[in-house]
Amino acid sequence: MEGANKVKSKLGATVYLRRNLGKTMPLIGVIILAVMLIAGIVSLINSIPLSIKTIYSYSRNYVAVTPRGNALLTPLLRKSIEQGSPVEIDRLMVIRGTDIEVKSIVGNWPFVVLGLEQSDMDYYLMRMKAKVLNGRKPAVGEPEVMISEKLARNLNLKLGSVIQKPTDSDNYSPQEVKVVGIADSEFWFAFGSVEYQRENHFPPIDALLVFAKNPTDQKKLDDWTTATLKGENARVFTYQELENQADTMFNILYQILNVVIGTLVVVITLMMGMLMNIFLSQRVQEFGLLQALGYTKRSLIMRVFWETTVFVVGGWVLGVLVAWGLLNIVKVTLMDPRSFALDTFDQWAYLYSLPVPIAIFAVSILTVFAKFKNFDPVGVVERRLV
Amino acid sequence: MIDLKSVSLIYQDHGKEVFACKEIDLGVQPGEFLGILGPSGSGKSSLLYVMSGLKVPTKGSVEWLNRDLGKMGDQERADIRLREFGFVFQYPFLIGYLTALENVLLAFPAEDRRADAEKFLIELGLQDQMHRYPYQMSGGQKQRVCVARALLGSPKVVFADEPTAALDHKSGRAVMDLLIQNRGQGALVVVTHDPVMLEGADRIIRMEDGEIKN
Repeated sequence: MEGANKVKSKLGATVYLRRNLGKTMPLIGVIILAVMLIAGIVSLINSIPLSIKTIYSYSRNYVAVTPRGNALLTPLLRKSIEQGSPVEIDRLMVIRGTDIEVKSIVGNWPFVVLGLEQSDMDYYLMRMKAKVLNGRKPAVGEPEVMISEKLARNLNLKLGSVIQKPTDSDNYSPQEVKVVGIADSEFWFAFGSVEYQRENHFPPIDALLVFAKNPTDQKKLDDWTTATLKGENARVFTYQELENQADTMFNILYQILNVVIGTLVVVITLMMGMLMNIFLSQRVQEFGLLQALGYTKRSLIMRVFWETTVFVVGGWVLGVLVAWGLLNIVKVTLMDPRSFALDTFDQWAYLYSLPVPIAIFAVSILTVFAKFKNFDPVGVVERRLV
Repeated sequence: MIDLKSVSLIYQDHGKEVFACKEIDLGVQPGEFLGILGPSGSGKSSLLYVMSGLKVPTKGSVEWLNRDLGKMGDQERADIRLREFGFVFQYPFLIGYLTALENVLLAFPAEDRRADAEKFLIELGLQDQMHRYPYQMSGGQKQRVCVARALLGSPKVVFADEPTAALDHKSGRAVMDLLIQNRGQGALVVVTHDPVMLEGADRIIRMEDGEIKN
């Protein structure tokens, strides 16, 4: 029975493809490469805003309020928040902050080292869902920091490493600030003693971190704070604002990307269209013979339809798998060691590659229709067309 | 069984009408071996293609079992070619990526005729070629596979257009013998320019300039 089934499927959608691998594999290879290229480019570009959102995702947990140039405003802002907050506040921290730089695939980005009260450090770690892996919390007034493991990986820091120093203008502090603790967390963070920062860093202005009691209310608190306090007297930093800025920043880049990928799809489709034309021309004898024997044009077109479907869908799936494999290699070897964000399951990256198989499919089917429009099988069996 | 009534097939050549077949009246009876003889360009192949529904006549009608082939749709005409007719062409056309057995089975895409096809190939002396691809066979072997394909399912008519033209005399004779001996109750219409190949024909007509001359 097995043999009979094999014979029965002699003109099945995969028979031609399987038995002519020398012809079909290069074409499938082009689809695989195109899909891999597009998915790879889009994934890597998407990794930039993803990195921004990942690095600064700590701001999901609180809203930061900074007075504009006047230290006396801090208590007033605090009072406004405590009295007017639409949600219950769990903790309101008075903090300081200094800048360091973290690495990304497109250069260095600023990152804040918070100066926290001792009494706020455990709470901060709790809200960051952090677990101390090594070391301890920074001591009062000492040039010490605790950092998250992701930040440590990004800057290649260990316990005892110097994160800020007097000779480094990008990571400046009047004294050498050392890493004394590393914590495991999904968030990136760095904090030291607020007393040290008050003593050593400019400007002499305290800022506020406000945590909603219920984390699900944080966005409501963020929105209220932005609407109420952002303006002449204060700057307000929320995750939502960061996300909006990142999206706006990359909007133009994505438009350029669309043009590049659109052009790529047109070029690949034209090339594949020509290849498919040659590919189908080589099969004129087969189609002519089958039509002469009694196969209808419709059945032959349907056959090419299914062959092309298997061919482009197979090529696309393989392309996605190869792209996914390569992105994983890139992630493991290049991105993870530096804590760079890369989503290897980025659905947009794979969706961006869909125009390739769709366009190739459309060109192939149109080519077949054009060939069959005035196709004369007698021309084939009389060898006028072959 | 097949009735041609005043059939003409006209081509346009630079605005000029060229008659491939002109006012032909002809019938084919069940089981008959009809030979169509004529020099190159006489219109004998065109006549065969018109008779078999591969071409629709410009004028006149071709009836298959009292039904006008020219008035049928493409689908119906194709069904008749597939189910009722068998074809052997001048060149041994086979699909290159199918084995001899699979090529024979092309005549019955929707049915499992494997046992019949194997039997035919064995009868035609191709038992060793059954699972070989066309590139592994000689011209004569390929044409025998085409004969098996044409005869599978005992078609009512087998049309053969110069079936021996691409073969040496001995192979050509062997192919003709196979066609004649294995056609069963079916009619056989053979077009050739070689009268020797029509030995045993019930009737031979001669074509010249698109017309029957005898």
